[in-house]
Amino acid sequence: MSEGATILALERVTKRFGGLTAVADVSFTVPAGELLGIIGPNGAGKTTLFNVISGYYRPEGGRVVFHGHDVTGQPPHAICRLGLTRTFQLVKPFGNLSVTDNVMIGALTRLASVRAARVEAQRVVETCGLGAHADTRARALPIGLRKRLEVARALATGPRLLLLDEVMSGLNPTELAAMVELIRRLHAEGLTVIVIEHIMAAMMRLARRIVVLHHGETIAEGPPAAIGQDRRVVDAYLGEEFVLAQA
Amino acid sequence: MDSLLRSRGGALVVFGLAAVTPLVVRDAYFLDSLVLILLWGALSAAWNVAGGYAGQVSIGHASFFGIGAYAAALMVTRFGRGPWLGMLVGVVISIGAGFVIGFLSNRLKGPYFALSTIAFSQVLLIGVSRWRGFTAGGEGIPVPFRPGFATLGLGHAGWVYMALAAALLCYAVEVYLERSRVGYQLAGVREDEDAAEALGIPTRRLKVFAVTLSAALTSICGSLWAQYIGFVDPTYVFSVDLSVRFALNAIIGGMGTALGPYLGSILITSLETYLRATFSGVKTGFAGIYLIIYGTALILVVRFVPDGLAGIAARLRTRRAHA
Repeated sequence: MSEGATILALERVTKRFGGLTAVADVSFTVPAGELLGIIGPNGAGKTTLFNVISGYYRPEGGRVVFHGHDVTGQPPHAICRLGLTRTFQLVKPFGNLSVTDNVMIGALTRLASVRAARVEAQRVVETCGLGAHADTRARALPIGLRKRLEVARALATGPRLLLLDEVMSGLNPTELAAMVELIRRLHAEGLTVIVIEHIMAAMMRLARRIVVLHHGETIAEGPPAAIGQDRRVVDAYLGEEFVLAQA
Repeated sequence: MDSLLRSRGGALVVFGLAAVTPLVVRDAYFLDSLVLILLWGALSAAWNVAGGYAGQVSIGHASFFGIGAYAAALMVTRFGRGPWLGMLVGVVISIGAGFVIGFLSNRLKGPYFALSTIAFSQVLLIGVSRWRGFTAGGEGIPVPFRPGFATLGLGHAGWVYMALAAALLCYAVEVYLERSRVGYQLAGVREDEDAAEALGIPTRRLKVFAVTLSAALTSICGSLWAQYIGFVDPTYVFSVDLSVRFALNAIIGGMGTALGPYLGSILITSLETYLRATFSGVKTGFAGIYLIIYGTALILVVRFVPDGLAGIAARLRTRRAHA
């Protein structure tokens, strides 16, 4: 696929829970090679949107088109096999397995041989800076490293599009800098990335384009600088204006 | 070879000793205990395939045991054919039943799944008890003893080797699950289903696979058991007690470890056999002695070695490596 061709298109996606519309009529497209940010206050529908894209929720309306395939309502594992992998905001490590085994299970999705998958897992573990913890049981890792493991495991599946759900929240400044560095590097290597983040400051530094969700609707879309000036965005984040000022 | 000895040394000792015993021991009582240890161990290992490796904890595995036992017994008594054919038919039926249970595991999680498996075995219990014309109902079926390999009429030593073969089969499946792609993927399903699904693992299909494989192995052992004991009756072969035994041997020995179920069976079966012999003269008060053993062993394991007897071995090995 050439640079700039559309890799993901959301067409008027709507997801309701009973009377609550968590995602309302959201449309946007993501060109291959982009690093897109999705921000919004708590409860804006960011994670719900990820759950729809990655196949955990079936939307009541609209379509999700990934790489030319209509993946609306397909099971997550099938979507992953097409090259779209996500991480979870509340990390879900395979707690009793080692870091390498965790990553290896991701690698086995596209490699049939256990031996090849192990080699690949070791490579990804190094790439993500987890080399010193390769044999540690996942449940023994501190949160900063668990977030990193979450990314490593997703990477091992060989995605073309990676959805990162709040992988930066809860990190200390050092861990945060390392995570930003890792995401930038993966993006520089050609991976298309969509990042959800609650902390605007981090996102302002990272993304090229930002979609802002509020009450399930897209209220703004554009480059970080423009988003920071947008009146509706500022209103949505009322009380967080100082965060924007710092960004 | 060196690493094989280290990682599978315990298994070599356990199965090696079992293989040598009939050559030196002629005592029928002792050999009988050995057959039971191996069969109960194999059954727990079969349970472990679903419960330990795939995390689908069933308390209804007596269903598959009973299907295997009845299939072999009925094939001999009703159709006049060999028990091997019965074993095969039992496996086919158990695969069908395993599909149903596996499908349930996609709808129901954890305790709800466990409860539904109990319900399944109870339905079979009632069905087999009522269908008198075919199954002889609650009276049960005595299986005639006809000497020979084709009729599974073996002596004590022969039965040790037959049980050992079943044990090795189940052990081999466990080892496969520890080293293969599907085994790693099942470990992912066990640890976190949502995460496994996100990583491209078809979790529903794999769970059905694990439960069905486990059901087929359980059924094979059930057929062997029926031929060895020479009698099947519904209240025993479909009992919750039996399902609990499969699960507890594996939990006590170490869930998700290949040798664990056998270690659990060695401890529990030999204790049970010993105590039953010791208290056999006493009519009252000791009927449920094995339940007390289970209870005590379980409490001790959960308190001191939550990862089971196999966990003790692993810990000793690490300590020696560090020393």
